[in-house]
Amino acid sequence: MTADGPLTGPPSVPTGAAAPADTTPDGEWLRVHPASPFVRGWVALAAITVFFGRDLFERTLQGQPVFEDGFARRAPWLLGGGAVVLAVAVLGFVLTWYFTKYQVSGGYVRVNSGLLSRQHRQARLDRVQAIDIVQPLLARIFGLAELKFEVADAGESAVRLAYLKIDEARQLRATILARASGAVSTAGHGAVSAADPRAAGYGGTGHAAGADRFARPAPEAPEFPVLTVPPSRLIGSLLLSEQSFFIVVGGIASVVLSAVTDNRAFYFYLVPAALGLAAGYWNFFNKGYNFTAAISPDGIRLRYGLLDTQAQTLPPGRIQAVKIAQPPLWRPFGWYRMQVNVAGYGTSGNAAEGNTRTILLPVGKFPDVLAMLSLVLPDPGIDRPEAVFAAGLGGWDSDGGFVTTPRRARLLAPFAWRRNGFAATATALLIRSGRWWRELVVVPHQRTQSMALQQGPLARRFRVADLVLHTTAGPVAPRLTQAGLDEVRQLFDEQSARARQARKRQTSEQWLRQVVPAAESRPLPDAPVVEPVETPHSFTQHQQEGQQHG
Amino acid sequence: MRTAAIDPPGIAWQRVSPKYITVRLVEWALANLAAVLVLSAPLVFVLLGWWRWPPLWLAVTVPAVMLLVALWRLVLIPRQVRAIGFAERDDDLLIRSGIFFQRTMAVPYGRMQYVDIAVGPVERGLGLCTVKLHTASPGTNARIPGLPAAEGARLREQLAARGEARLAGL
Repeated sequence: MTADGPLTGPPSVPTGAAAPADTTPDGEWLRVHPASPFVRGWVALAAITVFFGRDLFERTLQGQPVFEDGFARRAPWLLGGGAVVLAVAVLGFVLTWYFTKYQVSGGYVRVNSGLLSRQHRQARLDRVQAIDIVQPLLARIFGLAELKFEVADAGESAVRLAYLKIDEARQLRATILARASGAVSTAGHGAVSAADPRAAGYGGTGHAAGADRFARPAPEAPEFPVLTVPPSRLIGSLLLSEQSFFIVVGGIASVVLSAVTDNRAFYFYLVPAALGLAAGYWNFFNKGYNFTAAISPDGIRLRYGLLDTQAQTLPPGRIQAVKIAQPPLWRPFGWYRMQVNVAGYGTSGNAAEGNTRTILLPVGKFPDVLAMLSLVLPDPGIDRPEAVFAAGLGGWDSDGGFVTTPRRARLLAPFAWRRNGFAATATALLIRSGRWWRELVVVPHQRTQSMALQQGPLARRFRVADLVLHTTAGPVAPRLTQAGLDEVRQLFDEQSARARQARKRQTSEQWLRQVVPAAESRPLPDAPVVEPVETPHSFTQHQQEGQQHG
Repeated sequence: MRTAAIDPPGIAWQRVSPKYITVRLVEWALANLAAVLVLSAPLVFVLLGWWRWPPLWLAVTVPAVMLLVALWRLVLIPRQVRAIGFAERDDDLLIRSGIFFQRTMAVPYGRMQYVDIAVGPVERGLGLCTVKLHTASPGTNARIPGLPAAEGARLREQLAARGEARLAGL
């Protein structure tokens, strides 16, 4: 398990002196990097170049004169027009850049943008759900990065700053996370933090002591690598994905069809299909390459990408639901895929981007899955988490304490009835399903939004019902199918109670400041009063006390 | 047959106003009669001899089936409305609905982001309103239709106050 390596030790924090020098006073309005409009607009520039360049190139190839007759007469107009267009474009870029400003102060990030229609956005730092640093290839060449963060607040969720120097982006991320976590006081919450000694910082290294804590930038939280996905396994997983299966089937079908009907036309359809597929595979590979997961007090860090790199930070307790899935072709290798629901990820941007960002682990073996689960769910609330999760991923019937579909309803799910089931721990609900496409969904109790019991006429005949848990938008849709009526009704009641308890326990969005109400008694006998529920380190609670008080 | 099989036992359900049946009837009339009329058009054309293609049996069957389904749903409406119920518990709001496809939903007060009141034209005429609850999840499709306007306003205030008291993050 994760109980080895550097994970369990108290994190050694770089002191304030080790933090990168930063001259940014609090609350000053700043602009993004001047080169960013060109990095962002390079597609337009490239399109123009290609458009004119191709014409020129073709003429040269065809042996025609590069310049037509009468070109000399029109040249001044053409040049002048081109210059005007270019000047207007550049001016537009520069003005957009000039009018885009951002500020971090008082518990908020504010971004003002727009030339004709001004846009002001502000985002509450303690509602930050995730921070990504994205580096497209061109930005990477120039050492720039885009900072993108999701905020669970009213209205549109994503706030983007493109582009910053990579060091600035990292620094800003550290600042935002430090304030979001409550490690560094913000102006609005100064009094609270003064009263709360634990707000003094990670591990008590005291970078927040004294009056200079506003001026000094937050150091980047230390991080410890958890796992990497080797490229060979990534390629293997792509080759054995469901997509590949359908490609092979489709390919065979078209070859057979063309042989039978003596019609070569089928091959022509294959060419664009193959191109599209190659692009799809390349996209997966490019995004999943060198996938690295690490843990820091700021949360889970995910890094990946071959040409375009991305670094995601998921603060503790922001993950709403986890799905661990295993397609049939992966089973011989023992590979699993993990996806998460994070508020904001499901709704923002285009679908492809949302897909990559919700992947917690593109492909990994069982120990990797356990390691990631221990980050997502630091306190699984059971004695032997390995056994229970193993039963959830590969078990049958009542292995690991799962309650399955009753035998009387086996006609409704002839293959999967021995798999479909649930197990409730003190902190999360595990929902297991699927015989061929195995799935295990984990929903922390304190993340359940609402839930519903559903029953159709057929299910009523067999005295079973479905339980649907509602979480934020994303790839995970937790649904317990065909559970016995008595069991599921009991679960419905218990789950309401458990979610209520869990909500009471979690009192603050600022994860380094969470306190347990004194009246609340925890099920774990050795629970400290200051409860580090959200500090992900390992499945055992014991090491964390040292970290909190050390 | 009054089935309350999946409901938690011992809940005193509050029912919605019987006037909501009228709202549902109007909705039903608009949706189903229009569909039946459109589907009957080929029958008319065939009878008039303008069209040759759909054989007479098909032209008769399609709108007839549609009409039967519509009538079946019409018969169900009063029972469906009577099946809608809600209960304010200490920490969550329970909403139930459906006869054949039953659904019982629990929305914790602490999870509610905001509460809407919507009033359609027919509802306004009858003095009714619909209360909608929103959480951070798009799957929470919690609405209580057919409340008298005063009751709706009371419920909204009540829910907002309870939500405020128990507000948790996401």
